[in-house]
Amino acid sequence: MLDLLIIGAGLAGLTAALRAVEAGLRVKIIAKGMGSLYWATGAIDVLGYLGGEERAVASPWERLAELDAGHPYRTLGDTRVRGAIDWFQQHIEPSGLGYRSADAHNLLTPSPAGAWRPTYLAPAGQRAGAATDDRPMVIVGFQGVRDFFPHLITRNLSAQGQVVRAALLPWSVLSEQRDRNNAQLAECVDDVHTQQRLVDALKLVVKPGERIGLPAILGRHAHAQALAHLQQGLKTDVFEIPTLPPSAPGIRLATALRQALEQRGVRVEIGMEAIGFHAEDGVIQWVETETSARPLKHRAHAFLLATGGVLGGGFNSTPAGRFWEVIFDLPLTVPQDRRQWFRPLFLDARGQPAFHGGVAVNAALQPVDATGDAIYANLWAAGSLLAHADPILERSLEGVAIASGVAAAEAVKTKSTAAVATMER
Amino acid sequence: MAPISWHSVDLSLDECIKCNICTSHCPVSAVTDLFPGPKYVGPQAQRFREGDQAITPDHSVDYCSGCRVCNEVCPTGVKIAEMNARARADMVAKQGLPLRNRLLGRNELLGKAGSFAPALANFAMHNPFSRFMAEKVMGIARAAPLPTWSTSGTFGDWVKRTRGQRLRSAKKVVYYHGCATMYYEPFIGKAAVAVFEHNGYEVIVPEQNCCGLPLLSNGEFGAARNYHQGNVGKLTGFARAGLPIVGTSTSCTLTLKEEAPELLDMHDEAATTLKMATYDIFEWLYELHEAGEFRTDFRSMPMKLPYHAPCQQRAHRVGKPALALMALIPDLELPESHARCCGIAGTYGYKVEKYQIAMDVGAELFDFVEAQGSDVAYTACDSETCRWQLEHGVDLPSRHPIEILAAAYGLYDLARRDLTTG
Repeated sequence: MLDLLIIGAGLAGLTAALRAVEAGLRVKIIAKGMGSLYWATGAIDVLGYLGGEERAVASPWERLAELDAGHPYRTLGDTRVRGAIDWFQQHIEPSGLGYRSADAHNLLTPSPAGAWRPTYLAPAGQRAGAATDDRPMVIVGFQGVRDFFPHLITRNLSAQGQVVRAALLPWSVLSEQRDRNNAQLAECVDDVHTQQRLVDALKLVVKPGERIGLPAILGRHAHAQALAHLQQGLKTDVFEIPTLPPSAPGIRLATALRQALEQRGVRVEIGMEAIGFHAEDGVIQWVETETSARPLKHRAHAFLLATGGVLGGGFNSTPAGRFWEVIFDLPLTVPQDRRQWFRPLFLDARGQPAFHGGVAVNAALQPVDATGDAIYANLWAAGSLLAHADPILERSLEGVAIASGVAAAEAVKTKSTAAVATMER
Repeated sequence: MAPISWHSVDLSLDECIKCNICTSHCPVSAVTDLFPGPKYVGPQAQRFREGDQAITPDHSVDYCSGCRVCNEVCPTGVKIAEMNARARADMVAKQGLPLRNRLLGRNELLGKAGSFAPALANFAMHNPFSRFMAEKVMGIARAAPLPTWSTSGTFGDWVKRTRGQRLRSAKKVVYYHGCATMYYEPFIGKAAVAVFEHNGYEVIVPEQNCCGLPLLSNGEFGAARNYHQGNVGKLTGFARAGLPIVGTSTSCTLTLKEEAPELLDMHDEAATTLKMATYDIFEWLYELHEAGEFRTDFRSMPMKLPYHAPCQQRAHRVGKPALALMALIPDLELPESHARCCGIAGTYGYKVEKYQIAMDVGAELFDFVEAQGSDVAYTACDSETCRWQLEHGVDLPSRHPIEILAAAYGLYDLARRDLTTG
């Protein structure tokens, strides 16, 4: 039997699985679909903004203590959060994606709208876009590429003092096919011939001393090689600006984590929607997934819920105001009254109550009821479904996923070790 | 013809969050501009498909192969493949269907017809001249891997001939062989019977119809309904008696379980009873294994066997039980394919305008097999059309995992494709 069944293949689920298998647990992931990293930037945000301040946080490690008492970072404590991020950086290193922080501080890199986006660990492909770099930029787009507008990015960055200009290349540099999304374009750039066409076309555009910003399509499988080819061919730094979904940097991160898991014998089974479970005396026996006929039972000693919030599909709601967690129907801290979900202003600096709420947990990351007692003896939770955090507003999405994923896996390990010790006695 | 129902699919339409994961994984849109991807022809075009509209807003839906990878990867549960199947049926209902598609949809009829004189049928069908003519006249790609009729009798002939030698037992299983095993590959049925009997089960082989999948995927819902109604009539009695109905063709079992009832809106008690009693053979064997009743007295099988779980098997959403059970065979090394689809997708790759698309889609799988090195003697896959495509794409014989199990029990010769006991 499995030691741990993880539900959800986003960053929290994948990270937790990697930590769990490293700790010696038999673990499997089931997920409804491919996982939310497909619409992530591929960078690791830890804490970008605090309490409605306009300026980005300079270093997450100096500010964690200012978060709400119930925030997952406060529950775990600074040391464990930082330990988890360091652990992640170490374990993603073999992927060659080159995740680094700016000397333990946040880095500002351009968003596809031309805003400066604070992030903590940026992949090698994004770091040359840093605001601290004083070289001028040329942002190059491609005619017909969706949702990437170099002139918009340029105008917004210029307004913030960056020396930058825009340029457009024809679509044919990338592909002979007419209709490709960003993930498919990234596959085109896996091909060295496409890379060379890019180098040749960019040579005509770039001026001496400029670094080059491109949409994040520099390879789906051969990113490191594509990036190196471009930088060597152009003799300047090239950086990617994350795109709207599908996001190649997020896909690369998901692929790297899946490969690391596969090498360690962990299966990730997708197309599996959890629709029910069975518990006896407060202990979950199995989770059921939907199939083409009968529900399929997945038995395990422990279960980790990492299904995300509203966007990931972990929560659902009715127009009448009911807001619930979809598998175990865990109580949520979200107001059960539709009128209290949102403040009058869409972009209120304090965020929206509906997105701040979630699954309340104890110090071991086990979902708890109103009295603070664990609801099931063998259920843990991690990722953006946790209560008292607003990962989009705080720019803490990946940090919360990694810190809670690692901590939940460790808590499961501790509990299973204790159970074995009890049995041996 | 019955109106096309959008029941249950319409509800899932609003779940689409436009994340593009489906299109990023679609094996068809990756290789051709003729198919813009599941998001566009599925949930997006769907908003423009109204009941009273003369034609579909997007003919490219015909280039959907129906592999269901989009459903598999969708994070929000949109029934994209079903949307496309219905849109195609809508088109067929309004604009008619070429003879070729009518023919390809009638696998049972073709199988039966050829089996009267299989050697002649094979010659008539497979000589270069008739393949050339079939391409020119009907649009059936001349290089496509069409099956050959069994020249040693049908599976039904074998069942009749060996009736006296079959195991009698209180434990019984109903075997759904489908058309391919009946007319083209009777050895798959023999291997299945051997494995069932080795595990102590008496095998009942009842009268049965084509599952109707070729008709469903060619948009002929009316004819498919007749087939499914036939199977419900012939098989539900066994289901009511508590017997499992187990099949070796993974796309047939998927059709009995889900595709036919869902697409044809056949949710009555009888069809549902059949659905709930139907198993893909490895799904059923795995349950036997979990109950501790699966025999593992396997011989060592020191070889490397690249395994591809076909998209129609993955669409069952039961994991990869064939991989798990073959892993119990000593010394068998099982590299697992992560290829999305072999390309053939039932009858898709037989069509002249789609043949090259199917081969380009399959390249991912062919490359995976070729990367396994030269010491590979066989590949394994649960679906017959995929095995034919795989054999066409890489020069290696392909086997059903049930043949592998039967061989590991010492009951079956993998090279001759026959039982060792005759």
